[in-house]
Amino acid sequence: MAKGLDIDHLAKLARLNLTADEKVLYSNQLTQVLTYFETLAKADLPANSDVALVVTEKALRSDEPGVSLGSDAVTKIAPASYDGQISVPRVVDDES
Amino acid sequence: MAEEIYQLSATEISSRLAAGKLTSRAVVEALISRYHQLNKKIGAFTSLDEKDVLAQADASDARRKAGKVLSPLDGIPVAIKENIAVKGQPLTCSSKMLANLISPYDAHVVEALKSAGAIIYGRLNMDEFAMGSSTENSAIQKTFNPWDLTRIPGGSSGGSAASLASGLVPLALGSDTGGSIRQPASHCGIVGMKPTYGLVSRFGLVAFASSLDQIGPMARTVADCELLLNVLASPDARDMTCFDSTQRNQLPVASEKSLRIGVPKGVLGKGVGAEVAAATQAAIDFYKSKGATIIEVDLPSSDLAVPTYYVVATAEASSNLARYDGVRYGHRSANAKTPIEMMTNSRSEGFGPEVKRRILLGTFVLSAGYADAYYVRALRARSKIRAEHLAALEKVDMILSPTVPTPAFKVGEKVSDPLQLYLEDIFTIPANLAGLPALSVPCGKSGHLPVGFHLVGAPLSESKLFAAAQLFESAHSFANQQPTL
Repeated sequence: MAKGLDIDHLAKLARLNLTADEKVLYSNQLTQVLTYFETLAKADLPANSDVALVVTEKALRSDEPGVSLGSDAVTKIAPASYDGQISVPRVVDDES
Repeated sequence: MAEEIYQLSATEISSRLAAGKLTSRAVVEALISRYHQLNKKIGAFTSLDEKDVLAQADASDARRKAGKVLSPLDGIPVAIKENIAVKGQPLTCSSKMLANLISPYDAHVVEALKSAGAIIYGRLNMDEFAMGSSTENSAIQKTFNPWDLTRIPGGSSGGSAASLASGLVPLALGSDTGGSIRQPASHCGIVGMKPTYGLVSRFGLVAFASSLDQIGPMARTVADCELLLNVLASPDARDMTCFDSTQRNQLPVASEKSLRIGVPKGVLGKGVGAEVAAATQAAIDFYKSKGATIIEVDLPSSDLAVPTYYVVATAEASSNLARYDGVRYGHRSANAKTPIEMMTNSRSEGFGPEVKRRILLGTFVLSAGYADAYYVRALRARSKIRAEHLAALEKVDMILSPTVPTPAFKVGEKVSDPLQLYLEDIFTIPANLAGLPALSVPCGKSGHLPVGFHLVGAPLSESKLFAAAQLFESAHSFANQQPTL
Protein backbone atom coordinates (compact mmCIF):
# COMPACT_ATOMS: atom_id res chain seq x y z
CA MET A 1 0.00 0.00 0.00
CA ALA A 2 1.21 3.51 -0.81
CA LYS A 3 2.66 5.29 2.19
CA GLY A 4 -0.06 7.09 4.10
CA LEU A 5 -3.02 5.71 2.19
CA ASP A 6 -5.73 5.14 4.81
CA ILE A 7 -8.81 4.15 2.86
CA ASP A 8 -11.21 4.58 5.80
CA HIS A 9 -9.99 8.11 6.44
CA LEU A 10 -10.17 8.98 2.73
CA ALA A 11 -13.69 7.62 2.41
CA LYS A 12 -14.74 9.74 5.37
CA LEU A 13 -13.16 12.89 3.88
CA ALA A 14 -14.80 12.16 0.51
CA ARG A 15 -18.18 11.39 2.14
CA LEU A 16 -18.40 7.94 0.60
CA ASN A 17 -19.50 4.64 2.19
CA LEU A 18 -17.34 1.80 0.93
CA THR A 19 -18.05 -1.91 1.30
CA ALA A 20 -15.28 -4.20 2.53
CA ASP A 21 -14.71 -5.37 -1.05
CA GLU A 22 -14.56 -1.80 -2.35
CA LYS A 23 -12.00 -0.89 0.31
CA VAL A 24 -9.69 -3.67 -0.85
CA LEU A 25 -10.25 -2.88 -4.52
CA TYR A 26 -9.71 0.88 -4.24
CA SER A 27 -6.71 0.51 -1.88
CA ASN A 28 -5.00 -1.75 -4.41
CA GLN A 29 -5.85 0.39 -7.42
CA LEU A 30 -4.92 3.68 -5.76
CA THR A 31 -1.64 2.15 -4.57
CA GLN A 32 -0.86 1.12 -8.14
CA VAL A 33 -1.67 4.60 -9.47
CA LEU A 34 0.25 6.39 -6.70
CA THR A 35 3.28 4.19 -7.36
CA TYR A 36 3.12 5.33 -10.98
CA PHE A 37 2.98 8.94 -9.74
CA GLU A 38 6.41 8.52 -8.12
CA THR A 39 8.03 9.88 -11.29
CA LEU A 40 6.68 13.23 -10.10
CA ALA A 41 8.48 12.93 -6.76
CA LYS A 42 11.79 12.28 -8.53
CA ALA A 43 11.45 14.92 -11.24
CA ASP A 44 13.52 18.09 -11.39
CA LEU A 45 10.84 20.78 -11.23
CA PRO A 46 10.77 24.58 -11.14
CA ALA A 47 10.52 26.12 -7.68
CA ASN A 48 7.18 27.73 -8.43
CA SER A 49 4.13 26.95 -10.48
CA ASP A 50 2.73 29.51 -12.84
CA VAL A 51 -0.59 28.03 -13.81
CA ALA A 52 -2.01 31.52 -14.28
CA LEU A 53 -0.30 31.33 -17.67
CA VAL A 54 -2.77 28.63 -18.63
CA VAL A 55 -5.87 29.90 -16.89
CA THR A 56 -6.35 33.52 -17.88
CA GLU A 57 -8.76 34.98 -15.36
CA LYS A 58 -10.24 38.36 -16.05
CA ALA A 59 -10.84 41.07 -13.46
CA LEU A 60 -13.66 40.43 -11.05
CA ARG A 61 -17.03 41.87 -11.92
CA SER A 62 -18.68 44.51 -9.77
CA ASP A 63 -20.59 43.15 -6.78
CA GLU A 64 -24.10 43.69 -8.07
CA PRO A 65 -27.00 41.26 -8.15
CA GLY A 66 -27.47 39.63 -11.54
CA VAL A 67 -30.19 37.55 -13.12
CA SER A 68 -30.77 34.26 -11.31
CA LEU A 69 -32.93 31.21 -11.93
CA GLY A 70 -35.58 32.12 -9.35
CA SER A 71 -36.95 29.89 -6.60
CA ASP A 72 -39.51 28.08 -8.78
CA ALA A 73 -36.87 26.74 -11.17
CA VAL A 74 -34.52 25.93 -8.31
CA THR A 75 -37.03 24.05 -6.14
CA LYS A 76 -38.30 22.19 -9.20
CA ILE A 77 -34.96 20.40 -9.55
CA ALA A 78 -34.37 19.97 -5.80
CA PRO A 79 -34.91 16.47 -4.33
CA ALA A 80 -37.36 17.91 -1.77
CA SER A 81 -38.85 21.32 -1.19
CA TYR A 82 -41.46 22.98 0.94
CA ASP A 83 -43.09 26.36 0.46
CA GLY A 84 -40.57 27.63 -2.09
CA GLN A 85 -37.55 26.42 -0.09
CA ILE A 86 -35.33 23.35 -0.30
CA SER A 87 -35.97 20.96 2.59
CA VAL A 88 -33.31 18.77 4.22
CA PRO A 89 -33.16 16.42 7.24
CA ARG A 90 -33.20 18.15 10.62
CA VAL A 91 -29.86 19.86 11.25
CA VAL A 92 -30.36 21.05 14.86
CA ASP A 93 -31.33 18.69 17.68
CA ASP A 94 -34.37 19.46 19.87
CA GLU A 95 -32.45 18.71 23.04
CA SER A 96 -29.52 21.09 22.63
CA MET B 1 -25.29 5.95 -56.52
CA ALA B 2 -26.69 9.15 -55.04
CA GLU B 3 -25.53 9.92 -51.56
CA GLU B 4 -28.03 9.36 -48.77
CA ILE B 5 -28.82 12.35 -46.56
CA TYR B 6 -27.13 10.74 -43.56
CA GLN B 7 -23.88 10.57 -45.54
CA LEU B 8 -23.74 14.30 -46.26
CA SER B 9 -21.35 16.62 -44.48
CA ALA B 10 -22.77 19.66 -42.69
CA THR B 11 -21.15 21.91 -45.30
CA GLU B 12 -22.91 19.99 -48.09
CA ILE B 13 -26.26 20.06 -46.26
CA SER B 14 -25.81 23.81 -45.75
CA SER B 15 -25.22 24.46 -49.45
CA ARG B 16 -28.16 22.23 -50.50
CA LEU B 17 -30.42 24.04 -48.03
CA ALA B 18 -29.23 27.38 -49.44
CA ALA B 19 -29.85 26.20 -53.01
CA GLY B 20 -33.36 25.03 -52.13
CA LYS B 21 -32.50 21.41 -53.00
CA LEU B 22 -33.17 20.17 -49.50
CA THR B 23 -35.27 21.16 -46.49
CA SER B 24 -34.28 20.94 -42.86
CA ARG B 25 -37.36 18.76 -42.28
CA ALA B 26 -36.12 16.28 -44.88
CA VAL B 27 -32.72 16.16 -43.17
CA VAL B 28 -34.23 15.62 -39.74
CA GLU B 29 -36.71 12.99 -40.98
CA ALA B 30 -33.87 11.06 -42.64
CA LEU B 31 -31.79 11.21 -39.45
CA ILE B 32 -34.72 10.12 -37.26
CA SER B 33 -35.23 7.14 -39.52
CA ARG B 34 -31.48 6.34 -39.26
CA TYR B 35 -31.76 6.70 -35.47
CA HIS B 36 -34.55 4.09 -35.34
CA GLN B 37 -32.52 1.80 -37.53
CA LEU B 38 -29.19 2.04 -35.67
CA ASN B 39 -29.20 3.68 -32.29
CA LYS B 40 -30.02 0.50 -30.32
CA LYS B 41 -27.07 -1.18 -31.98
CA ILE B 42 -24.59 1.70 -31.47
CA GLY B 43 -25.91 3.21 -28.23
CA ALA B 44 -24.72 6.72 -29.16
CA PHE B 45 -27.83 8.70 -28.21
CA THR B 46 -29.34 8.56 -24.75
CA SER B 47 -32.44 10.50 -25.83
CA LEU B 48 -33.98 12.19 -28.85
CA ASP B 49 -37.14 14.31 -28.67
CA GLU B 50 -38.47 13.71 -32.18
CA LYS B 51 -41.38 16.13 -31.92
CA ASP B 52 -39.06 18.89 -30.73
CA VAL B 53 -36.42 18.41 -33.44
CA LEU B 54 -39.07 18.33 -36.18
CA ALA B 55 -40.55 21.56 -34.81
CA GLN B 56 -37.07 23.15 -34.86
CA ALA B 57 -36.62 21.97 -38.47
CA ASP B 58 -39.95 23.45 -39.52
CA ALA B 59 -39.07 26.75 -37.85
CA SER B 60 -35.77 26.81 -39.77
CA ASP B 61 -37.50 26.05 -43.07
CA ALA B 62 -39.97 28.87 -42.36
CA ARG B 63 -37.09 31.29 -41.68
CA ARG B 64 -35.46 30.28 -44.94
CA LYS B 65 -38.69 30.79 -46.85
CA ALA B 66 -39.00 34.27 -45.31
CA GLY B 67 -35.39 35.11 -46.27
CA LYS B 68 -34.31 35.28 -42.62
CA VAL B 69 -31.60 32.62 -42.49
CA LEU B 70 -29.53 33.09 -39.34
CA SER B 71 -26.22 31.46 -40.33
CA PRO B 72 -24.70 28.65 -42.45
CA LEU B 73 -25.69 26.30 -39.60
CA ASP B 74 -29.38 27.24 -39.81
CA GLY B 75 -31.43 24.04 -40.05
CA ILE B 76 -28.48 21.69 -39.43
CA PRO B 77 -28.71 19.20 -36.54
CA VAL B 78 -26.03 19.34 -33.83
CA ALA B 79 -26.13 16.63 -31.16
CA ILE B 80 -25.08 17.50 -27.61
CA LYS B 81 -23.06 15.52 -25.07
CA GLU B 82 -24.95 14.68 -21.86
CA ASN B 83 -22.86 17.08 -19.74
CA ILE B 84 -23.80 20.27 -21.62
CA ALA B 85 -26.96 22.06 -20.44
CA VAL B 86 -29.94 22.39 -22.77
CA LYS B 87 -32.96 24.04 -21.16
CA GLY B 88 -35.80 21.59 -20.58
CA GLN B 89 -33.70 18.53 -21.48
CA PRO B 90 -31.99 15.86 -19.35
CA LEU B 91 -28.52 16.73 -18.03
CA THR B 92 -27.57 13.36 -16.61
CA CYS B 93 -23.81 13.32 -17.27
CA SER B 94 -24.59 9.60 -17.78
CA SER B 95 -24.72 9.27 -13.99
CA LYS B 96 -27.34 7.84 -11.63
CA MET B 97 -26.57 10.91 -9.52
CA LEU B 98 -28.30 13.19 -12.07
CA ALA B 99 -30.72 10.63 -13.56
CA ASN B 100 -33.75 12.86 -13.07
CA LEU B 101 -32.19 16.28 -13.62
CA ILE B 102 -33.82 18.47 -16.26
CA SER B 103 -31.66 21.50 -17.00
CA PRO B 104 -33.30 24.83 -16.12
CA TYR B 105 -31.00 26.78 -18.47
CA ASP B 106 -28.93 26.66 -21.66
CA ALA B 107 -25.15 26.47 -21.80
CA HIS B 108 -23.47 29.40 -23.58
CA VAL B 109 -22.64 27.15 -26.54
CA VAL B 110 -26.26 26.03 -26.79
CA GLU B 111 -27.43 29.64 -26.78
CA ALA B 112 -24.90 30.31 -29.56
CA LEU B 113 -26.14 27.33 -31.60
CA LYS B 114 -29.76 28.40 -31.15
CA SER B 115 -28.88 31.96 -32.26
CA ALA B 116 -27.26 30.45 -35.35
CA GLY B 117 -30.46 28.51 -36.10
CA ALA B 118 -28.89 25.08 -35.56
CA ILE B 119 -31.17 22.25 -34.49
CA ILE B 120 -30.37 21.07 -30.98
CA TYR B 121 -30.58 17.40 -31.79
CA GLY B 122 -30.62 14.77 -29.03
CA ARG B 123 -28.31 13.88 -26.18
CA LEU B 124 -25.16 11.77 -26.45
CA ASN B 125 -23.82 9.09 -24.14
CA MET B 126 -20.53 9.59 -22.29
CA ASP B 127 -18.43 8.22 -19.47
CA GLU B 128 -20.02 9.22 -16.17
CA PHE B 129 -19.08 12.85 -15.44
CA ALA B 130 -16.66 12.63 -18.42
CA MET B 131 -14.34 10.32 -16.45
CA GLY B 132 -13.08 7.62 -18.76
CA SER B 133 -11.69 6.78 -22.17
CA SER B 134 -14.15 4.12 -23.35
CA THR B 135 -17.72 5.26 -22.52
CA GLU B 136 -17.97 2.04 -20.51
CA ASN B 137 -18.42 4.12 -17.35
CA SER B 138 -21.86 5.39 -18.42
CA ALA B 139 -24.60 4.46 -15.97
CA ILE B 140 -27.17 4.69 -18.78
CA GLN B 141 -25.94 2.38 -21.54
CA LYS B 142 -22.92 1.12 -23.42
CA THR B 143 -21.81 2.72 -26.69
CA PHE B 144 -20.07 0.65 -29.35
CA ASN B 145 -17.57 1.57 -32.03
CA PRO B 146 -19.41 1.73 -35.38
CA TRP B 147 -16.34 0.27 -37.13
CA ASP B 148 -16.42 -2.82 -34.91
CA LEU B 149 -19.30 -3.34 -32.51
CA THR B 150 -17.20 -5.49 -30.18
CA ARG B 151 -14.95 -2.50 -29.47
CA ILE B 152 -15.15 0.72 -27.48
CA PRO B 153 -15.73 4.04 -29.29
CA GLY B 154 -13.29 5.84 -27.00
CA GLY B 155 -14.36 8.38 -24.41
CA SER B 156 -15.49 10.24 -22.67
CA SER B 157 -17.27 11.77 -25.70
CA GLY B 158 -17.87 8.26 -27.10
CA GLY B 159 -21.52 8.93 -27.93
CA SER B 160 -20.52 12.03 -29.92
CA ALA B 161 -17.87 10.20 -31.98
CA ALA B 162 -20.03 7.09 -32.55
CA SER B 163 -23.05 9.17 -33.63
CA LEU B 164 -20.94 10.90 -36.30
CA ALA B 165 -19.23 7.75 -37.55
CA SER B 166 -22.57 5.95 -37.92
CA GLY B 167 -24.23 8.81 -39.80
CA LEU B 168 -26.73 9.54 -37.03
CA VAL B 169 -25.92 13.27 -37.11
CA PRO B 170 -23.53 15.54 -39.08
CA LEU B 171 -22.20 17.60 -36.15
CA ALA B 172 -21.75 17.02 -32.41
CA LEU B 173 -20.42 18.72 -29.31
CA GLY B 174 -17.99 17.01 -27.00
CA SER B 175 -15.96 18.08 -24.01
CA ASP B 176 -12.29 17.43 -23.48
CA THR B 177 -10.42 17.40 -20.16
CA GLY B 178 -7.52 15.09 -21.09
CA GLY B 179 -8.41 13.88 -24.59
CA SER B 180 -12.15 13.18 -24.35
CA ILE B 181 -12.85 14.70 -27.79
CA ARG B 182 -9.70 13.68 -29.65
CA GLN B 183 -9.27 10.09 -28.44
CA PRO B 184 -12.83 8.99 -29.47
CA ALA B 185 -12.44 11.01 -32.69
CA SER B 186 -9.33 8.95 -33.50
CA HIS B 187 -11.02 5.64 -32.60
CA CYS B 188 -14.12 6.41 -34.70
CA GLY B 189 -12.39 7.96 -37.74
CA ILE B 190 -13.75 11.48 -37.37
CA VAL B 191 -12.34 14.98 -36.73
CA GLY B 192 -12.36 16.46 -33.22
CA MET B 193 -10.85 19.61 -31.78
CA LYS B 194 -10.08 20.77 -28.26
CA PRO B 195 -9.83 24.55 -28.56
CA THR B 196 -7.38 26.80 -26.70
CA TYR B 197 -8.37 27.00 -23.04
CA GLY B 198 -10.58 30.08 -22.79
CA LEU B 199 -11.74 30.19 -26.43
CA VAL B 200 -15.12 28.54 -25.74
CA SER B 201 -17.18 29.39 -22.67
CA ARG B 202 -17.62 26.62 -20.11
CA PHE B 203 -20.87 28.15 -18.82
CA GLY B 204 -23.34 25.27 -18.75
CA LEU B 205 -20.71 22.54 -19.00
CA VAL B 206 -20.93 20.36 -15.89
CA ALA B 207 -17.54 20.80 -14.21
CA PHE B 208 -15.05 17.92 -13.99
CA ALA B 209 -11.63 19.63 -13.77
CA SER B 210 -12.21 23.31 -14.39
CA SER B 211 -8.66 24.33 -15.33
CA LEU B 212 -8.58 21.64 -18.04
CA ASP B 213 -12.18 21.33 -19.35
CA GLN B 214 -13.08 22.71 -22.78
CA ILE B 215 -16.12 22.18 -25.00
CA GLY B 216 -15.21 21.48 -28.61
CA PRO B 217 -16.54 20.59 -32.05
CA MET B 218 -16.66 17.10 -33.59
CA ALA B 219 -17.51 16.33 -37.23
CA ARG B 220 -16.74 14.03 -40.17
CA THR B 221 -14.73 16.65 -42.09
CA VAL B 222 -12.22 19.34 -41.17
CA ALA B 223 -14.37 22.08 -42.76
CA ASP B 224 -17.42 21.00 -40.72
CA CYS B 225 -15.38 21.00 -37.52
CA GLU B 226 -14.19 24.56 -38.21
CA LEU B 227 -17.70 25.70 -39.16
CA LEU B 228 -18.99 24.48 -35.80
CA LEU B 229 -16.11 25.96 -33.80
CA ASN B 230 -16.75 29.38 -35.34
CA VAL B 231 -20.24 29.34 -33.81
CA LEU B 232 -19.10 28.07 -30.40
CA ALA B 233 -16.25 30.53 -29.87
CA SER B 234 -17.48 33.85 -28.52
CA PRO B 235 -16.89 35.92 -25.38
CA ASP B 236 -19.01 35.16 -22.30
CA ALA B 237 -18.81 37.12 -19.06
CA ARG B 238 -20.31 34.16 -17.16
CA ASP B 239 -17.07 32.19 -17.53
CA MET B 240 -14.25 34.24 -16.03
CA THR B 241 -11.65 32.21 -17.92
CA CYS B 242 -13.28 32.88 -21.31
CA PHE B 243 -11.30 35.29 -23.52
CA ASP B 244 -12.90 38.67 -24.12
CA SER B 245 -13.04 40.33 -27.56
CA THR B 246 -9.68 42.07 -27.15
CA GLN B 247 -7.88 38.85 -26.23
CA ARG B 248 -9.49 37.08 -29.20
CA ASN B 249 -8.04 39.63 -31.59
CA GLN B 250 -4.49 38.81 -30.55
CA LEU B 251 -4.39 35.93 -33.01
CA PRO B 252 -1.02 34.61 -34.15
CA VAL B 253 0.08 36.33 -37.33
CA ALA B 254 0.11 34.02 -40.35
CA SER B 255 3.65 33.03 -41.18
CA GLU B 256 5.09 33.78 -44.61
CA LYS B 257 7.36 30.81 -44.23
CA SER B 258 6.39 27.29 -45.22
CA LEU B 259 4.74 25.07 -42.66
CA ARG B 260 7.07 23.93 -39.90
CA ILE B 261 5.98 20.74 -38.16
CA GLY B 262 7.57 19.50 -34.97
CA VAL B 263 7.76 15.80 -34.22
CA PRO B 264 8.67 14.93 -30.61
CA LYS B 265 11.80 12.84 -30.24
CA GLY B 266 10.95 9.12 -30.04
CA VAL B 267 7.20 9.68 -30.36
CA LEU B 268 6.65 6.67 -32.60
CA GLY B 269 8.64 4.37 -30.34
CA LYS B 270 7.72 2.47 -27.22
CA GLY B 271 4.04 1.62 -26.72
CA VAL B 272 2.85 2.82 -30.14
CA GLY B 273 1.24 0.14 -32.32
CA ALA B 274 3.09 -0.64 -35.58
CA GLU B 275 0.19 0.36 -37.84
CA VAL B 276 -0.48 3.53 -35.82
CA ALA B 277 3.21 4.45 -36.14
CA ALA B 278 3.11 3.73 -39.90
CA ALA B 279 -0.03 5.85 -40.45
CA THR B 280 1.49 8.72 -38.46
CA GLN B 281 4.79 8.45 -40.34
CA ALA B 282 2.84 8.56 -43.62
CA ALA B 283 1.20 11.82 -42.47
CA ILE B 284 4.64 13.26 -41.62
CA ASP B 285 5.95 12.16 -45.05
CA PHE B 286 2.92 13.74 -46.72
CA TYR B 287 3.60 17.13 -45.14
CA LYS B 288 7.26 16.84 -46.11
CA SER B 289 6.23 16.15 -49.70
CA LYS B 290 4.14 19.33 -49.60
CA GLY B 291 7.16 21.42 -48.69
CA ALA B 292 6.77 21.46 -44.90
CA THR B 293 9.90 21.50 -42.80
CA ILE B 294 9.91 18.62 -40.32
CA ILE B 295 11.83 19.44 -37.15
CA GLU B 296 12.50 17.09 -34.25
CA VAL B 297 11.42 18.77 -31.01
CA ASP B 298 12.46 17.94 -27.49
CA LEU B 299 9.75 17.73 -24.83
CA PRO B 300 11.75 16.19 -21.98
CA SER B 301 8.90 16.36 -19.45
CA SER B 302 6.47 14.30 -21.55
CA ASP B 303 6.86 11.40 -19.12
CA LEU B 304 5.41 13.59 -16.39
CA ALA B 305 2.23 14.45 -18.29
CA VAL B 306 0.05 11.48 -17.27
CA PRO B 307 0.85 11.57 -13.53
CA THR B 308 0.60 15.38 -13.51
CA TYR B 309 -2.76 15.23 -15.23
CA TYR B 310 -4.22 12.58 -12.92
CA VAL B 311 -3.16 14.54 -9.84
CA VAL B 312 -4.53 17.89 -11.09
CA ALA B 313 -7.70 16.47 -12.68
CA THR B 314 -8.68 14.26 -9.74
CA ALA B 315 -7.91 17.02 -7.23
CA GLU B 316 -10.20 19.41 -9.10
CA ALA B 317 -12.80 16.66 -9.57
CA SER B 318 -12.90 15.83 -5.86
CA SER B 319 -13.56 19.50 -5.18
CA ASN B 320 -16.06 20.05 -8.04
CA LEU B 321 -18.02 16.90 -7.23
CA ALA B 322 -18.37 17.87 -3.58
CA ARG B 323 -21.46 19.79 -4.74
CA TYR B 324 -23.35 16.50 -5.18
CA ASP B 325 -24.53 16.27 -1.61
CA GLY B 326 -28.19 15.40 -2.14
CA VAL B 327 -29.32 18.88 -1.09
CA ARG B 328 -30.06 21.09 -4.10
CA TYR B 329 -30.27 18.74 -7.06
CA GLY B 330 -29.46 15.19 -8.06
CA HIS B 331 -30.01 11.98 -6.16
CA ARG B 332 -30.98 12.09 -2.48
CA SER B 333 -30.82 8.85 -0.54
CA ALA B 334 -34.12 7.66 0.93
CA ASN B 335 -32.17 6.09 3.81
CA ALA B 336 -30.84 9.07 5.71
CA LYS B 337 -31.84 10.56 9.03
CA THR B 338 -29.09 13.15 9.44
CA PRO B 339 -27.52 15.63 7.01
CA ILE B 340 -24.20 13.73 7.05
CA GLU B 341 -25.99 10.46 6.29
CA MET B 342 -27.89 12.20 3.52
CA MET B 343 -24.65 13.41 1.90
CA THR B 344 -22.70 10.19 2.34
CA ASN B 345 -25.51 7.82 1.34
CA SER B 346 -26.59 9.96 -1.63
CA ARG B 347 -23.02 10.11 -2.99
CA SER B 348 -22.41 6.41 -2.38
CA GLU B 349 -25.63 5.43 -4.16
CA GLY B 350 -25.34 8.00 -6.97
CA PHE B 351 -21.72 7.75 -8.14
CA GLY B 352 -20.29 4.84 -10.15
CA PRO B 353 -16.94 3.09 -9.52
CA GLU B 354 -14.65 5.28 -11.68
CA VAL B 355 -16.08 8.50 -10.23
CA LYS B 356 -15.59 7.17 -6.70
CA ARG B 357 -12.03 6.10 -7.57
CA ARG B 358 -11.16 9.56 -8.86
CA ILE B 359 -12.80 11.34 -5.95
CA LEU B 360 -10.77 9.19 -3.53
CA LEU B 361 -7.55 9.80 -5.46
CA GLY B 362 -8.23 13.55 -5.65
CA THR B 363 -9.06 13.65 -1.96
CA PHE B 364 -5.78 11.90 -1.17
CA VAL B 365 -3.56 14.19 -3.26
CA LEU B 366 -5.15 17.23 -1.61
CA SER B 367 -5.17 15.88 1.94
CA ALA B 368 -3.09 17.31 4.77
CA GLY B 369 0.44 15.95 4.67
CA TYR B 370 0.26 14.87 1.01
CA ALA B 371 -0.78 18.01 -0.89
CA ASP B 372 2.82 19.28 -1.12
CA ALA B 373 4.14 15.95 -2.36
CA TYR B 374 1.44 15.45 -4.97
CA TYR B 375 -0.75 18.44 -5.83
CA VAL B 376 1.83 21.22 -5.46
CA ARG B 377 4.47 19.21 -7.33
CA ALA B 378 1.95 18.47 -10.08
CA LEU B 379 1.28 22.19 -10.50
CA ARG B 380 5.00 22.80 -10.83
CA ALA B 381 5.30 19.99 -13.38
CA ARG B 382 2.37 21.50 -15.25
CA SER B 383 4.23 24.81 -15.53
CA LYS B 384 7.28 22.99 -16.86
CA ILE B 385 5.23 21.05 -19.45
CA ARG B 386 3.61 24.25 -20.66
CA ALA B 387 6.94 26.09 -20.86
CA GLU B 388 8.48 23.26 -22.89
CA HIS B 389 5.55 23.22 -25.30
CA LEU B 390 5.58 26.99 -25.77
CA ALA B 391 9.34 26.91 -26.37
CA ALA B 392 8.91 24.18 -28.99
CA LEU B 393 6.07 26.12 -30.62
CA GLU B 394 8.40 29.10 -31.04
CA LYS B 395 10.37 26.98 -33.49
CA VAL B 396 7.51 25.16 -35.21
CA ASP B 397 3.90 25.94 -36.17
CA MET B 398 2.52 22.75 -34.69
CA ILE B 399 3.52 19.48 -33.07
CA LEU B 400 2.46 16.21 -34.72
CA SER B 401 2.05 12.82 -33.02
CA PRO B 402 -0.40 9.91 -33.03
CA THR B 403 -3.64 10.79 -31.19
CA VAL B 404 -3.75 7.45 -29.35
CA PRO B 405 -0.94 4.84 -29.16
CA THR B 406 -3.14 1.90 -30.23
CA PRO B 407 -6.52 1.49 -31.97
CA ALA B 408 -9.85 0.93 -30.18
CA PHE B 409 -9.72 -2.00 -27.76
CA LYS B 410 -12.38 -4.62 -27.00
CA VAL B 411 -15.27 -3.74 -24.71
CA GLY B 412 -14.35 -4.89 -21.19
CA GLU B 413 -10.65 -5.31 -21.97
CA LYS B 414 -9.33 -2.62 -19.64
CA VAL B 415 -12.21 -2.27 -17.14
CA SER B 416 -10.26 -3.71 -14.21
CA ASP B 417 -7.00 -1.88 -14.93
CA PRO B 418 -7.49 1.88 -14.50
CA LEU B 419 -3.80 2.69 -15.01
CA GLN B 420 -3.73 1.05 -18.45
CA LEU B 421 -6.81 3.03 -19.38
CA TYR B 422 -5.21 6.28 -18.17
CA LEU B 423 -2.30 5.67 -20.58
CA GLU B 424 -4.71 5.94 -23.56
CA ASP B 425 -4.41 9.70 -23.09
CA ILE B 426 -0.62 9.97 -23.15
CA PHE B 427 -0.50 12.09 -26.35
CA THR B 428 -3.62 14.18 -25.72
CA ILE B 429 -3.09 15.22 -22.08
CA PRO B 430 -0.24 17.76 -22.59
CA ALA B 431 -2.50 20.08 -24.65
CA ASN B 432 -4.96 20.28 -21.73
CA LEU B 433 -2.21 20.84 -19.16
CA ALA B 434 -0.72 23.59 -21.33
CA GLY B 435 -4.06 25.09 -22.42
CA LEU B 436 -3.21 24.64 -26.12
CA PRO B 437 -5.49 23.92 -29.10
CA ALA B 438 -5.29 20.40 -30.49
CA LEU B 439 -6.95 18.45 -33.26
CA SER B 440 -7.31 14.78 -34.20
CA VAL B 441 -7.53 14.02 -37.93
CA PRO B 442 -8.22 10.58 -39.48
CA CYS B 443 -5.10 9.30 -41.28
CA GLY B 444 -5.48 5.60 -41.89
CA LYS B 445 -6.43 2.24 -40.48
CA SER B 446 -4.95 -0.34 -38.19
CA GLY B 447 -6.60 -3.42 -39.63
CA HIS B 448 -10.22 -2.34 -39.98
CA LEU B 449 -10.00 0.27 -37.21
CA PRO B 450 -9.52 4.01 -37.79
CA VAL B 451 -6.39 5.82 -36.66
CA GLY B 452 -5.91 9.56 -36.26
CA PHE B 453 -2.96 11.88 -36.00
CA HIS B 454 -2.77 14.75 -33.56
CA LEU B 455 -1.75 18.37 -34.09
CA VAL B 456 -1.05 20.76 -31.21
CA GLY B 457 -0.55 24.48 -31.82
CA ALA B 458 0.28 27.69 -30.00
CA PRO B 459 -2.56 29.46 -28.12
CA LEU B 460 -5.33 30.61 -30.49
CA SER B 461 -3.75 29.01 -33.54
CA GLU B 462 -6.91 26.98 -34.35
CA SER B 463 -7.12 28.28 -37.92
CA LYS B 464 -3.53 27.18 -38.62
CA LEU B 465 -4.33 23.68 -37.34
CA PHE B 466 -7.47 23.50 -39.46
CA ALA B 467 -5.55 24.66 -42.56
CA ALA B 468 -2.88 22.00 -42.06
CA ALA B 469 -5.54 19.34 -41.44
CA GLN B 470 -7.43 20.45 -44.54
CA LEU B 471 -4.29 20.10 -46.64
CA PHE B 472 -3.99 16.47 -45.50
CA GLU B 473 -7.69 15.67 -45.77
CA SER B 474 -7.97 17.03 -49.34
CA ALA B 475 -5.21 14.69 -50.53
CA HIS B 476 -6.63 11.56 -48.86
CA SER B 477 -9.87 9.60 -48.70
CA PHE B 478 -10.61 9.71 -44.98
CA ALA B 479 -12.99 12.69 -45.04
CA ASN B 480 -16.61 11.94 -44.21
CA GLN B 481 -15.85 8.21 -43.88
CA GLN B 482 -18.54 5.91 -42.50
CA PRO B 483 -18.48 2.13 -42.04
CA THR B 484 -21.17 -0.03 -43.63
CA LEU B 485 -23.74 -0.75 -40.95
